[in-house]
Amino acid sequence: MPTAFKSLARSCGLAALAASMFVFASPSAYAEEDMWPILKEQTFGDRAISEEDGLVVLETPSKIEDAALVPLTVRVPPSVKGKIKSLTLIIDNNPDPKVATLNFGPAAGTGGERSFSTRVRVDNFSHVRAILETEDGSLHMTKKFLAAAGGCAAMQAKDPDADTADMGKMIVRKFTPALESSPVWAAQVMVKHPNHNGMQLDINTAEFIPAQFVKEMKVTRDGELVFKLDGTFSISTNPNFRFTFGRGDENSLDVVITDTDGTVFEGQSQPKGS
Amino acid sequence: MCTPYPISRKTFLTAGLALAATPLLRYVPAHAAAMDVTEVAPGVFVHQGRYEVQSPDNRGDISNASFVVGSEAVAVIDTSGSAALGQELRDAIRAVTNKPIKYVINTHMHPDHVLGNVAFKQDAPTFVGHYKLSRALGTRANTYITANKQMLGDAAFEGTEIVLPTLAIKEPTTLDLGDRTLLLEPQGTAHTDNDLIVTDTKTNTLFLGDLLFSVHVPTIDGSIRGWLALLDEMGKRKAARVIPGHGPKTMELPEALEPEQRYLSAIAGDVRQQIMEGRTLAEATRTAGFSEKDAWKLFDQYHVRNVTAAFAELEWE
Repeated sequence: MPTAFKSLARSCGLAALAASMFVFASPSAYAEEDMWPILKEQTFGDRAISEEDGLVVLETPSKIEDAALVPLTVRVPPSVKGKIKSLTLIIDNNPDPKVATLNFGPAAGTGGERSFSTRVRVDNFSHVRAILETEDGSLHMTKKFLAAAGGCAAMQAKDPDADTADMGKMIVRKFTPALESSPVWAAQVMVKHPNHNGMQLDINTAEFIPAQFVKEMKVTRDGELVFKLDGTFSISTNPNFRFTFGRGDENSLDVVITDTDGTVFEGQSQPKGS
Repeated sequence: MCTPYPISRKTFLTAGLALAATPLLRYVPAHAAAMDVTEVAPGVFVHQGRYEVQSPDNRGDISNASFVVGSEAVAVIDTSGSAALGQELRDAIRAVTNKPIKYVINTHMHPDHVLGNVAFKQDAPTFVGHYKLSRALGTRANTYITANKQMLGDAAFEGTEIVLPTLAIKEPTTLDLGDRTLLLEPQGTAHTDNDLIVTDTKTNTLFLGDLLFSVHVPTIDGSIRGWLALLDEMGKRKAARVIPGHGPKTMELPEALEPEQRYLSAIAGDVRQQIMEGRTLAEATRTAGFSEKDAWKLFDQYHVRNVTAAFAELEWE
């Protein structure tokens, strides 16, 4: 690359980086107010929460390119030996801060790293928090800051007609570990669903597109509960989840998803591997 | 004309979002000289935008804008990224001809191609676009207005509003400019879900909009699969010249398409490989398509977003 081009690219890059950070931020919308004390009270009452104690780890992108599709991963390291009870994801400054709560069942697995990943909308610069409840009922929190905005009002569907035609299509995929005897396996569930949050205004009709989103997802392995997830519209269009589960005899996964219209979508993994 | 609501209703909404003026009272911002345009074929004029992201310095002048002059009328093809730039484009047209501006055509929904539309309202033209343009732009209007106001700054953004199409193109359609016709062909989802190819049949000039990027890294806001398939089709066309949405004023087929095909193929190949290996979206954004890094301007600004879009599409294969 010629030197002149390089320096031009670099100077543009800086300007664009600054621009991209603010690209979708509405002028006055960044809430300086710390919402967490209220959210904590609403969600966990007066229960004690241990912070940054290493029992739960949260991974977020270093630079967010699309605020309507932000990948988040929560890990519970192998050093945590016991069962896990619940996991709550909160984005403080989202219109509905609660992203999802997972209540784990007997098939959630122990004896290895457990993890959960999904993709979320970020409406405004905000902390995202993962709160883990361990077997003894104690709460453990980690948080990261998300420098992104506008993900809720943004129209995410790039091809709405194709998505509508495919609505309800579900893929349930298992990732067979290198060592089949591993006690914790990974899987993925993806479903074609607009997860409309009711915040996209269509100026053709002067109306907001009505909210319709995945409210509940139940995952079972060989008939036993892995987790039940209660979700909100903070989860991106075409909801996508990766998670771990405890190895069973058949390792057959069943998924039942219910949206806010009461529509039920069902999916099942293939009997062998992915 | 088929606006579902009176103009005042739409204007009210847009005004509420971004502006405090009605079209009648709209302050026409002070603008510099007429836009710099080049006659690339008889009666075909092109302005070349900069290879940059919108900023107060470039005032949104980052995409190509064109017009075609017939014996009876003028058609504008894309209007650049603000009211002021639209006005400067209009001045450039008026420096060439006094014939009525009958059509304002948008090749797709992106703000750097449509935000100058407002400057042509005074000509009462037919605003023309792909039949899905109205929905695509309508549902993004709020976001586009907010983002562009922020990037351009209040001064450069002054007077800018969204103008939706009044003629929706669902089938190949010709527009008569007097002694020359334009052929409008709506495409399947590719760069966006509302890409329109415009051909000036007299000079066999193809206006490809953002189906063709050159120098400026392509941006995926539709379907990488659809786009690659369409590029194969486009490569079979014969044209005297093509006008990219971002790139030099004119290029030639099929060579013009090759870098873009290579870029999109690199992303698709790498992303498919990673999906097959069970890798995540976050992992893919760190490596996929980086072999193309030195081949494009603005790679750092758009590439990771492109990989994100490609991954979210290809994981459904």
